[in-house]
Amino acid sequence: MTPANLAAARETYRRIAANIAKIIRGQDSATRHLLAAMAAGGHVLLEDYPGTGKTTLAKALAKSIDAQFKRLQFTPDLLPSDILGVSIFDQRDQQFHFHEGPVFTNILLADEINRASPRTQSALLEAMGEAQVSVEGERRNLPDLFFVIATENPVEFRGTYPLPEAQMDRFAMQFTLGYVSAEEEVAVLTAQEHHHPLDELKPAATLADVIALKRAVEDVRISHELKRYVVDLVSATRTAQGVQLGASPRASIALMKTAQAMALFEGFDFVTPEQIQKLAVPVIAHRLVLEPQARFSGITARGVVEEAVKKVKVPA
Amino acid sequence: MKTPPLLLFAALLFWGWLSDLLLVGAVMGALLEITRLTTFRWELDDTDFNRIWSFCVVLNLVLIGYVFTNNDAGGINGMFHGKTLATAANSGVLTAIRFLRWLPMTTFPFIFAQAFNERPSVPLTAVSLVLRWRRRHGDRAFAGRYLDISHSYFFVCLFSAGVHTNNGGQIYFWGLFVLLAWALWFVRSPRFGIIPWLLALSAMLAIGFGEMAGLNRAQGIIQNFNAQLISYFISQRTDPLQSMTSMGRIGLLKLSAKIVIRLEPRQPGDAPAYLREASYRNYATQKMTWFAGGGTKDFEPLTVEQDDTTWNLLPGKKAASRVNIACYLNGWSRELAAPEGVLPLPGGCARLENVPPYMILKANQNGAVLAAGRGLLMFDAAFGRGASLDSPPDVDTTNHYDLSVPTNEIPALQQVISEMQIPADANELERRRRIEQFFANHFTYSIWQGTDKLATPSTTPLTKFLLTSRSGHCEYFASATVLLLRQLHIPARYAVGYSVHEPRGSGFVVRERDAHAWCLAWNRTTKTWEDFDTTPGSWIKVEGARTAGEEWLADLKSWITFQFAKFRWRQANLQQYIFWSLIPVLVVLLYFILFRRRGKLRRDVKNKNLPGAPWPGLDSEFYQLEKKLAARGAPRQPGEPMADWLERALAEPLLNDLRSPVRELLRLHNAHRFDPSGLSAEKRQQLKLEVTACLEKISTADTAKKLR
Repeated sequence: MTPANLAAARETYRRIAANIAKIIRGQDSATRHLLAAMAAGGHVLLEDYPGTGKTTLAKALAKSIDAQFKRLQFTPDLLPSDILGVSIFDQRDQQFHFHEGPVFTNILLADEINRASPRTQSALLEAMGEAQVSVEGERRNLPDLFFVIATENPVEFRGTYPLPEAQMDRFAMQFTLGYVSAEEEVAVLTAQEHHHPLDELKPAATLADVIALKRAVEDVRISHELKRYVVDLVSATRTAQGVQLGASPRASIALMKTAQAMALFEGFDFVTPEQIQKLAVPVIAHRLVLEPQARFSGITARGVVEEAVKKVKVPA
Repeated sequence: MKTPPLLLFAALLFWGWLSDLLLVGAVMGALLEITRLTTFRWELDDTDFNRIWSFCVVLNLVLIGYVFTNNDAGGINGMFHGKTLATAANSGVLTAIRFLRWLPMTTFPFIFAQAFNERPSVPLTAVSLVLRWRRRHGDRAFAGRYLDISHSYFFVCLFSAGVHTNNGGQIYFWGLFVLLAWALWFVRSPRFGIIPWLLALSAMLAIGFGEMAGLNRAQGIIQNFNAQLISYFISQRTDPLQSMTSMGRIGLLKLSAKIVIRLEPRQPGDAPAYLREASYRNYATQKMTWFAGGGTKDFEPLTVEQDDTTWNLLPGKKAASRVNIACYLNGWSRELAAPEGVLPLPGGCARLENVPPYMILKANQNGAVLAAGRGLLMFDAAFGRGASLDSPPDVDTTNHYDLSVPTNEIPALQQVISEMQIPADANELERRRRIEQFFANHFTYSIWQGTDKLATPSTTPLTKFLLTSRSGHCEYFASATVLLLRQLHIPARYAVGYSVHEPRGSGFVVRERDAHAWCLAWNRTTKTWEDFDTTPGSWIKVEGARTAGEEWLADLKSWITFQFAKFRWRQANLQQYIFWSLIPVLVVLLYFILFRRRGKLRRDVKNKNLPGAPWPGLDSEFYQLEKKLAARGAPRQPGEPMADWLERALAEPLLNDLRSPVRELLRLHNAHRFDPSGLSAEKRQQLKLEVTACLEKISTADTAKKLR
C-alpha cells in the first residue's frame, strides 16, 4: 500500500539515523528532530551548553549523507561578505571573479550565531529564508539541499547580539541536546578512547537520496482536520496569557511540514495528531515573545505551548 | 497601596464626616488600612478586575437611576415623607449631588480589590471599555500596564467630600489642606529641605485661600448685582412685588425667541389674548419701577379643594373658557430660600385644575399667583369675563394707590391730555377710546432706545416719551397709559405678562420675546378690571422681525425638551415603577458581566462542532472501545492524543494481552480518521470486526475477574 518513494525515503532516514547514532549516543529524539527539520526544508537552532555535541551532531549528519559541510564561527567582526562571498578583481584577465562564501554548501554549521553583528546575522537569515543570496545585485541560487544548523550558548550573554524575534521565526525548530545519562557518557568516553569515531564514519546516503527524502515528505498526507488542529494550536498561543507576540502562520506551516516528515519517519503515510503534539514545543516555543511581567512571574514560552497542547481539543 | 499609612482612612473619615456618613467612611477606611496589618491576599487576574470594574459601573448606574427616580419625583417625596417642596424641587441638583457624594462608596469594591490583591495595582485595560475592546481584538499596546489607583481614590474622596451641604466651606478648605499636605509630605523631593517645602506649602495655602476668598466675593457680587435686571434680561422672570422697567436705559431690548409657555385651549377660540403674571399699582418715577404696593406678607395662601389638584380662586364664578397652560417656574424666593415662580394666568381666572398635588399657591391683592417649585408646571385654567382675583380699586381709602400719579409726571400728562381734546362730559369709555386713538395716531413702536429718552434732572424718560420722542416699547406705552388713565380719574394698574398670538398646532406658543406690559383699567359699570393695551399692534411684527432663520431648530429642541419634561411630569408617580422595571435589566447585565467568560467558552465548543464541518471517520467503531476503556476509570483528556491515552488505559495487567491488537487497531482507526485517502472497504470491515472482538475480550476478562 505504501508508495515506493515513501518506503525508500523511510529507508534513507533509517540509514542516516543509524549512522548518526554510532557517533552521538542517547540523542535519538534530537537526531529525529534534526532530520525532520532537514527533510521538511527548514533550519535548526540548537541552544545548548558548550560541549554537548552540537558540532559533532552537525558533522555526523554531514558525513552521513556525503554532502558538503562548512562550519562558520560567528564573531563580532564577521562581515556579510565572509558568509556570502566576495568578488575579487583578477589582474590577469582584468575581470572580477566571484569567490563563493561558506554559505554555498549543503550543510552549514553557524556556530554561536548570536556573537555576530545583526547585519551579518541577517545576511545568513536571508539566505535561509529565500534559499538564494544576492551579491552585488546578482542572484545566486543555493544548492538544492541547504540546511543550516545554528547554535547558541544560553548562558553567556556578554558581547552577544540576541536574535530578534523576527529572525527567530526563520528557524523551523529550536531544541536542546542536553546532557546524556552517565551510562551514555561513559560509552562516549569508551568510543573515543583511541580515536574519534567521526573520522571513520562512512556516508550512509547520497545527496540524491536526501533530496528524494525531501520530496517524499511532501507526499505525506495530512487531513483537513489536522491542518485545522495545527492552526488552532498556533493561534492558541496568540491569545495565551502573558504572551506579547504569538506564533505566526509561518509557524503553522513549519509545524505541518515537520509533522509530515516525522510521520514519514515513524512509518506513517499520513500525519496523526501525535506527531503534531510532539513537535509543537520545538517548532512554536522559540517564536513567542512573552510580556516582561509574565517572564518574571515564571511563565516560559515552552510552558505556554505545553499549556496550549493540553487545552486545545485534539482530534482522536 | 502607595498612599502613606492611614491617609486613605483619614480621607474617608473626612468624607464621611462632611457627608453624614461617618460610620460608613470609618468602616471603609479601616477595611483598606487593614491590608497593612495582614498578609492575606487574593490573586486576581485581569479578568477579575474587568468584572469588578464593570460591577462598579453597574452599581453607579443603579445609583443614578435610584437617585433620579427617588428624588425627582418630588411629589412623592413631598407627599409621603412630608418634606417641603423646596428640597424636592431642587431635584436635578440633588441628583447630581447625591450621586457625587456617594462616589467613594460605589467605587469602593474596585479599590478594595486592589488593596487585597497580590499585586497592588489594577490593569489599565480594566477601566476603559475602549482599551478592553482593543485588547480583545489583539491590540497589545496596553496589555501589562498596571496602575495604582489608591491616589486616584484619595482624590475621589476629597472631591466627594466637597459635594456636601451641611458644613461651611472653611472646614472643607482646611481639611483639604491638611490631607493634601499629608499626602505631599511623603512624596516630597529629597533635594530640598523641610523649610523650602514648608514655604511652598504655605504659598499653596495662600493662593488657595486667596482664590477661595475671591470666589466668595465674586459670588457675592453676582448675587447682589441688580437681581431684577438680570431677571428681566436674562431669564425673564417676574417679581410680583416690583417691576423695574427698562425705560430710560440706552440700547436695544433683547429678548430671545425661546418658547416659555405653551397653551392648549380646550375649545378653539378659548385662548386668552394675554397671560398676566402680575400687576402693579405704584410707580416710582426715579427708579422707573412699578411696585405692587404691598409686601411679601401681602401674599395669602390659597386653599385647595379636597382632591388636592383643584384650586378655586374665585368660588362661585362661572368660567366658560378653559385652557391648558404649560409654563416653567424659574424664580427664586429669598424669603423661603426656595424656588418659586409666578403663574401666567389669563385675565379673570376663576379656577385652576389638575395642578400637581403637592403645590403651594399664594396670591396677592393684585392678582399675582405664586407657586413654589421649579421647572415645568402644567395645569388647566378656567377663566371668563368678569370678576378676577385683583382687589377692587382703593380709590376710597387714604392710599389712593390706583389713582396716584407722581407729581413730576403731571405736567407732561396734562399737556398730552389737552392735546387729546377730551370733552369734559366724556364718559370713561370715551376717555379710554381717546387715549387709545391718541397713541395709535402719534406714537410708534421701537425697541431701540436712544439718548433721546435719557433721564435728566428736570425731565423723566416718560415725559420725553410723551412729549418729544413718541416712540418706545410696551413699558412706555403701558406706564404712560396707566398714568394718563389715572389722571383722567380712571383707576388703573400696570400689568406684566405675555401676549398670546402665535398659533402652533391646536394651541399657541409663547416666546420670551412675547413678554408684554399693558394696563388694567377699572370699569365702574361692570366693576371689573379690563385689559387695556395701547401699544401699537405693530410691536408683534417688530419683535418677530428679529427672528433668526434657524429658529425652527431651537423650536424643535424646545419641543423635544418639553415633551420629555411633560413625560416626566405626567409620569412622576410612575418613575418608581420604571426604576423597578430597570432592576431585572440590570440583573441580566450583571449576570453577563460575571459569567461572560464561561459563555464564551461554551460558544467556542459549539463552533467546533458545527454541523458544517463533519470530519471524516467520526463513525469509527474504535470510539466504542474508547468508551469502554474510559468507563474503567481512565477518561481521555481533551488534549491527549489517542495513542498516549491507550498506553495509560491499557496499563492494567488484566488487559496485557490486548495491548498489541489495540495498537494495531489504532493504526487502522488513525488511517480511517486522518488519512485523506481513507481506508479500503476491506480494512474498514477489519476495523469493525476487530473492535467487536476486542470489546468481547474485555468483557470476558472482566467476567473472569469477577468469577475469581
